[in-house]
Amino acid sequence: MSNQVNREIVVENLIKRYGDFAAVKGVSFKVESGEIFGFLGPNGAGKSTTVSMLTTLSLPTEGRATVGGYDVVSQAAEVRRIAGVALQEVGIDPLMKAMELLTIQCQTFGMSRKQAQGRAHELLDLVKLSAFMDRRVGKYSGGMRRRLDLALALAHEPEVLFLDEPTTGLDPASRRDIWEEVRRLNTRLGITIFLTTQYLEEADLLANRIAIINNGVIAAEGTPQALKAQLGSESINLTFGDADSVTRAEAELAEMVERTQVDHHTLRLYLSHAANAVPAVVNRVQSVGLVLQSLTLTQPTLDDVFLKVTGERLETKDAPQPAKGSRSRMARAS
Amino acid sequence: MSVITTSALGMAAKGERTARMPFWLQVSTMTWRNLLVAFRTPAALIPSILISVFFTLVYKDLLSGAAAFFLPGKDYLGFVLPISIISASLSGAGVAGQSVVRDIESGYFNKLLLTPISRAAIVLGAILGGAIVLTLQTSVVMLTGLLLGLQPATGIGGVFAVLGYGLLLGMGFAGFTVAIALRSGSAGATQGATFLFFPLTFITATFTPVELLSGWIKTAAQLNPITYLLEAMRALLLTGWEADAMLRGFLTCAALALLMFTFAFFSLRARTQRR
Repeated sequence: MSNQVNREIVVENLIKRYGDFAAVKGVSFKVESGEIFGFLGPNGAGKSTTVSMLTTLSLPTEGRATVGGYDVVSQAAEVRRIAGVALQEVGIDPLMKAMELLTIQCQTFGMSRKQAQGRAHELLDLVKLSAFMDRRVGKYSGGMRRRLDLALALAHEPEVLFLDEPTTGLDPASRRDIWEEVRRLNTRLGITIFLTTQYLEEADLLANRIAIINNGVIAAEGTPQALKAQLGSESINLTFGDADSVTRAEAELAEMVERTQVDHHTLRLYLSHAANAVPAVVNRVQSVGLVLQSLTLTQPTLDDVFLKVTGERLETKDAPQPAKGSRSRMARAS
Repeated sequence: MSVITTSALGMAAKGERTARMPFWLQVSTMTWRNLLVAFRTPAALIPSILISVFFTLVYKDLLSGAAAFFLPGKDYLGFVLPISIISASLSGAGVAGQSVVRDIESGYFNKLLLTPISRAAIVLGAILGGAIVLTLQTSVVMLTGLLLGLQPATGIGGVFAVLGYGLLLGMGFAGFTVAIALRSGSAGATQGATFLFFPLTFITATFTPVELLSGWIKTAAQLNPITYLLEAMRALLLTGWEADAMLRGFLTCAALALLMFTFAFFSLRARTQRR
């Protein structure tokens, strides 16, 4: 698609107060055209409040924001025409069928009934719901409802897509489907995607850039890689055959790294750009005649980043799904 | 490669970005949607139809003896049927408001608000959908009356005129419940609100003509818009085409419908006011 289309989101010192309570306390960021921007934060951090201002559902108390060059306050109608929105609560009538919902949605954007039906078929195909188009939405699974909601948000071919926690409450398989879909939409259609999430893994996997919001302020911003390199703790882990080797290795290597930690027969070396340091570390170990049993690298995670910038703990235990692997859910430390 | 990017229809959608759906089409689409949903919950419609038919039967047999005093030579059924129609319309009016509450709860309402569709069309769709359902209910009551031997003084034309009044009255009642639904967002409040109208169906010429009433109830009946509607319907069923009564009835219903639409529209405005 053409490059002239403005698909940026520009947010300048956005503030939202409800009475004495400030939900968003002066947030600024810029999302480039065609980017997937991850807006990461725990429950109550101000994510949904920001989305509701950007999608014209509520007014900022102070500050200003534009979506695709249109002001969210004074040009709300234009913003609605170019923005697709899938809110946290899936807004679909359980008594209706997918085909009916999509047709009406397309019609409201000015398509004729026939055009709208054609478009509805395309969208059902896109989110792989064609086989269920005549089933009432109330009978859909959670994942199917999200996919339909995504299709509804895409009805008018938005330039900018807002997804507010698109995978919260989904099982791992449905979650992966949505991720795949989001990536596909971004690469094929070139649309800007503003994605809020409380899952670190999600932001890490999908987003080109991330902003971490906590207590209504942006705590950190950058690419996942940069954030991890800057704030995370990479480590080289060396395992030896005996405790004595570990002690000797530590004495030899401590000056090369930021911090060391001994864990049984394993020596952990904390440093940035760990991968680059591996040859030097190995050389030094060999030069003093120590024998390595294994060497592993630990990449920093966004969990580390979040902990660093917010000082809050990440809880991994009460994730809504059986969390396999590294999925973690952020929660305020109690 | 992509279904969407290469699609002619997709391109059309883009070209149409500035296109607007004509207002009448917005209203009819929203009305159609409300009817679709209403008929998918028949359990919400059937009780009020049954209760209206029940009242028609009971009123007829309970009061036809007394009616001989003031309706010599005329059929009490024609006198009492209008009140059954109004009761039917009233008891079913909650359906319109309930469907709005459902939309608010499911989040579909927000989805509609994020489209370019006009807010007046959203409100009108809910009201008209509700009023059409109510007219189907009043038709069942009318059919019951005809089966019981009612012979309307104005013939088949009169039957349709009475149903037309029913439609207009339904818009007023449905508008009221839609407004309450938009104000409160609560199913309970919406259901409760329909009871506020019930006194109106009794503080009027419910079982006897206004002339036979006296004291405060006569004054109240003369102020009650339902009275004028009843008189218009009764004229059609019992005496004939009486222009005066019909016009009074029409103006009363139309004013009520307009008032309630305005109430509902401003309730939506209040609900959707960006804060």
